[in-house]
Amino acid sequence: MEIKTAEYNVWTEGSTIHYEGTLRLSGTDAYQPILDLMQQVLVEKPQNVVLDLTQLEFLNSSGINLLAKFTIELRKHPDVAMKVLGSTRIPWQSKSLPNLQKLHKGVELLIT
Amino acid sequence: MALDFGETTHRNTPSAFSVNIILAEGPLAVSWQHASATCEFLGDLFAHHHAQGGADYNEARHAIIYLVNELLENAIKFRNPGDIMLLCSLEDGNLELAVCNSTAPAVAEKFQSLLSEITSRDPGELLIERIEANAADETSSASGLGLLTLMNDYGARLGWTFEQNDGGAIVLRTYASLTLN
Repeated sequence: MEIKTAEYNVWTEGSTIHYEGTLRLSGTDAYQPILDLMQQVLVEKPQNVVLDLTQLEFLNSSGINLLAKFTIELRKHPDVAMKVLGSTRIPWQSKSLPNLQKLHKGVELLIT
Repeated sequence: MALDFGETTHRNTPSAFSVNIILAEGPLAVSWQHASATCEFLGDLFAHHHAQGGADYNEARHAIIYLVNELLENAIKFRNPGDIMLLCSLEDGNLELAVCNSTAPAVAEKFQSLLSEITSRDPGELLIERIEANAADETSSASGLGLLTLMNDYGARLGWTFEQNDGGAIVLRTYASLTLN
């Protein structure tokens, strides 16, 4: 599965979801196709889900809300481990990703 | 009658490095993509200026882009048709941004009740609470999260003034300041 535009690319490989580029969509509705793609991964009942954000240069607050929504959704699947990969090169990730762990204690956050 | 919330006093002097931008409704047909173009421009310009003193360009650029983008997205989303004015300045590592646009009285009233809450609570706590509430309510528009992430994740100081103009519309000024590292 893949959603690709000139600004960003979101695709899945097994139960890993990759994000690349700049995501500045206008709100919850505009992010819905991406949320659908993420939720599709859960349908396969994987043991773990990985969000690879190491190439996502920018995410606006509506996009942060998307990640938060998915994290909350994962609380309903306690048997699915969630890992979030970030990069120290991209400042928003160290600033905003720790909020996900406040929503779901089981989130493993690796910012390298 | 004017109404204020948060920190509306800016301290940068007239000799600060500064840029004024008007997104003019007529010639531009102001739309969503202008937030991207404007924040990238201001982020590059001010981070370059800041980095001349040896500071981290990447860190400064990102924080400025996030700040300008969030405030401009709000202005574009909630404004009455009309120009949006931005005034951005930097002095001694203190970045200040003022965004001015007009908005409908009903929109302003709703925003004011959100601001009463945002400015009276711990932003970190409120951020998590609102994310939870948004996730539980499918129809929620997640408004306020941009402001709360700015306050909590970026340490931005924010303020707002509302003033009614002669035509009955509300002139909203949003003030933000950030200490750049």
